[in-house]
Amino acid sequence: MDITLDTLCSGTKAEILRVGASGEIRRRLLDMGVVKGTHIKVVRVAPLGDPIEIHIKGFNLSLRKEEAKTILVKVLGTVGDGKPMGGFFKRRRKGSEIE
Amino acid sequence: MGFSRDEEKDLKLNKNKTIVVALAGNPNSGKTSLFNELVGANQKVGNWAGVTIEKYEGIVKYKGYDIKMVDLPGTYSLTAYSPEEVLARHFIIEEKPDVVINVLDGTNIERNLYLTSQLMELKANILIALNMYDEVEKSGNIINIKLLQQLLGSHIIPTSAVKKTGITSLLDHVIRVYTGDIIIAKNKLTYSVRLEEGIERIVEVLNTQEELKARYVLRWLAIKLLEYDQEIYKLVKEYPVWIRVEQIILNIIELLKIDKSEDSETIIAEDRNAFIRGAIKETVIFKEIKRKSVTEWIDTILINRVLGLPIFMLIMWMVFQFTFALGEWPMKWIESIFHYIGNIAIGVIPPGIIRSIIVDAVISGVGGVIVFLPNILLLFIALSFLEGTGYMARAAFVVDKIMHKMGLHGKSFLPMITGFGCSIPAIMATRTLKNRSDRLVTMMIIPFMSCGAKLPVYVLLISAFFKPSVAGNVLFGIYLFGVFVAVVSAKLLKTAMFKCESEPFVMELPPYRLPTMKSILFQARYKAEMYLRKAGTIILGASILIWFASNYPVNSQLNQTYNQEIEKIVQTTTYDKEVKEKMVHKIQLEKESKNLEHSFSGMAGKLVEPIIRPLGFDWRTGVAIIMGLAAKEVVVSTLGTIYSIGEVSGESVDLAKKLQDDPHFTTATALSLMVFVLLYIPCIATMSVFKKESGSWKLIGIYSAYAMSVAWIASFIVYRASIFLGLGS
Repeated sequence: MDITLDTLCSGTKAEILRVGASGEIRRRLLDMGVVKGTHIKVVRVAPLGDPIEIHIKGFNLSLRKEEAKTILVKVLGTVGDGKPMGGFFKRRRKGSEIE
Repeated sequence: MGFSRDEEKDLKLNKNKTIVVALAGNPNSGKTSLFNELVGANQKVGNWAGVTIEKYEGIVKYKGYDIKMVDLPGTYSLTAYSPEEVLARHFIIEEKPDVVINVLDGTNIERNLYLTSQLMELKANILIALNMYDEVEKSGNIINIKLLQQLLGSHIIPTSAVKKTGITSLLDHVIRVYTGDIIIAKNKLTYSVRLEEGIERIVEVLNTQEELKARYVLRWLAIKLLEYDQEIYKLVKEYPVWIRVEQIILNIIELLKIDKSEDSETIIAEDRNAFIRGAIKETVIFKEIKRKSVTEWIDTILINRVLGLPIFMLIMWMVFQFTFALGEWPMKWIESIFHYIGNIAIGVIPPGIIRSIIVDAVISGVGGVIVFLPNILLLFIALSFLEGTGYMARAAFVVDKIMHKMGLHGKSFLPMITGFGCSIPAIMATRTLKNRSDRLVTMMIIPFMSCGAKLPVYVLLISAFFKPSVAGNVLFGIYLFGVFVAVVSAKLLKTAMFKCESEPFVMELPPYRLPTMKSILFQARYKAEMYLRKAGTIILGASILIWFASNYPVNSQLNQTYNQEIEKIVQTTTYDKEVKEKMVHKIQLEKESKNLEHSFSGMAGKLVEPIIRPLGFDWRTGVAIIMGLAAKEVVVSTLGTIYSIGEVSGESVDLAKKLQDDPHFTTATALSLMVFVLLYIPCIATMSVFKKESGSWKLIGIYSAYAMSVAWIASFIVYRASIFLGLGS
């Protein structure tokens, strides 16, 4: 199943399968260590619903959903305050109300 | 650079012992703090040639050597995408520093080693400063430094800029590398077999090109070619070997696609990461963390889904208040000091052209430059504090969605807000934006955020033409209109001028740290100096020019008539002294008004009258607009002079009343003028900072044309619409 990074809710742990994007954005992602096999954790979504913050290789990185959409992941489970996947859609709607 | 290669060689031969050291490292690795610790106060700040990236260098005298330290811009990688990265790699390739100190954030060692792996490929003499080592020890993580040294081939020196440890050891190592006491092993990172084969084949071909061989590390060129590095492509294309090289590259890419179904760029990045991963696994023991870190705690509050935005707004409001409310006091002092100096000059110098130049042009011009200093100092203290703590990245994170819709970066927000106070510090603050097109667009829309100097113009016109009950709404509307134009302009400029050239929002959110007072004050001081040195001269020159335009040509006949009239009043005995003084004052003002009408400025006002007539302005407003280029509040004082406010025999007629009484000046005209003042090209001080920061006269031209057209069109629409609504009488 194809799950992209932008659909994960905070607290989800995942492994990166493939990095899409192109050009400079792709280069930046690769340089920041967003490569195949790396484990990440989604830390939070910004107050307005975009961008997102992930924990990777011991530091925190933020990226837009637009970019996260191109990153294919495998979900490894949730930790801490992670909320079930269904909650995402609810919160997403709430996020768009704020706009 | 300070000296050419030949001179440098001579210095070495003469045993003058100058060692050139470059500091390379990630942003937030504490590189700048370490640099400050190393060189202390002996540092110079300048710009790298051709770009507005600050260049820090300094000389340390240590054990009889002069060690010249150059702080390279903080980068995560060495690609051709960002000017910082190009600059850093150029310096290492072209200037061949004796030693490259690679500053690593010990608490974030894995990501930091990625740059190290690239520096290794450049075959530089690397020394690794394992910075923030005190924090590493505190965290309980254990790094096997000896083993890591072997794996990387470079010496590793634990340092802490905050605790000031490891500094002398680092300097000792620099000298030992220079004297050959330590040989840097130049270990190489080995890529997967297919890639290594390809690299070897490319190197073989490149090896036949003597010039490339002499100047570059061929293995590095080969790797960069396989990473599709545009700059290196251009470089190698200049040589006849290119045809063969290109074929090999295409061949390797093809093979890799079949082998791993990935392109070479990705595989290179993956291999680098795998190498680092392996090294970390062997050398670092991470202590398991059970509790949330301080940064996590702060972030759960500061960028919380609900509170994040309000807190952000509050912090922005605080920065604004800190800059402008606190800055108001010193600004007033500066103004009164210059007023005082002006009065002294009037007392000392006999009346005439020289006095006029000194008092009206030089002193007020210099005063006009220095008056912005408090704002600039305060804003940059606030900015370096926010940047230093790590909140700036969070602020960008919080508002990026809005800014992205405008085609900008989250970091553009703060400069834009600052624009409400004054465009000058706001434009200078765009330096936090790394991407050039984001930066230029932000700079171009900042003046549409109505600045403090435009307020007196609105106040005058609103009080003259609107009821107090609606005054507040009109004022708010003007500000809102400015924001609206800024937003539309951002979108427009971004699509028209800088297509698809946006900085990707892949940004580190560094741990919160308390910045040192030293670094904050240093930044503020440097910005102030830069402003005074570069902008100051242009502003001063322009003030003198405007003074000249409004005082020349002298119409001696006109002056004579008025002087005679004044003389007449003084000699008569019909009035008492007080009335006489008032009458003289009135004639003086009339004389000034007439002089202005016949000066170059007046002529210019009349010249532009046909252009501004459709907006409801006559030549008098034209002069005010032209004079407003010196500073926006001058629009008010110029209108005052032209309409010659005077108090005659106790009857007080203020400017607002005069404007109301002018049949040509209607509510529609007032609205039109407010919109025009809001949007037309900003004051000279702003323009000179714009020139300094954009580094291009062409952009100034484009920008001026844009601002003028927007102002004209908007004013025209507002004027016509107001007349249609019955405000034209």
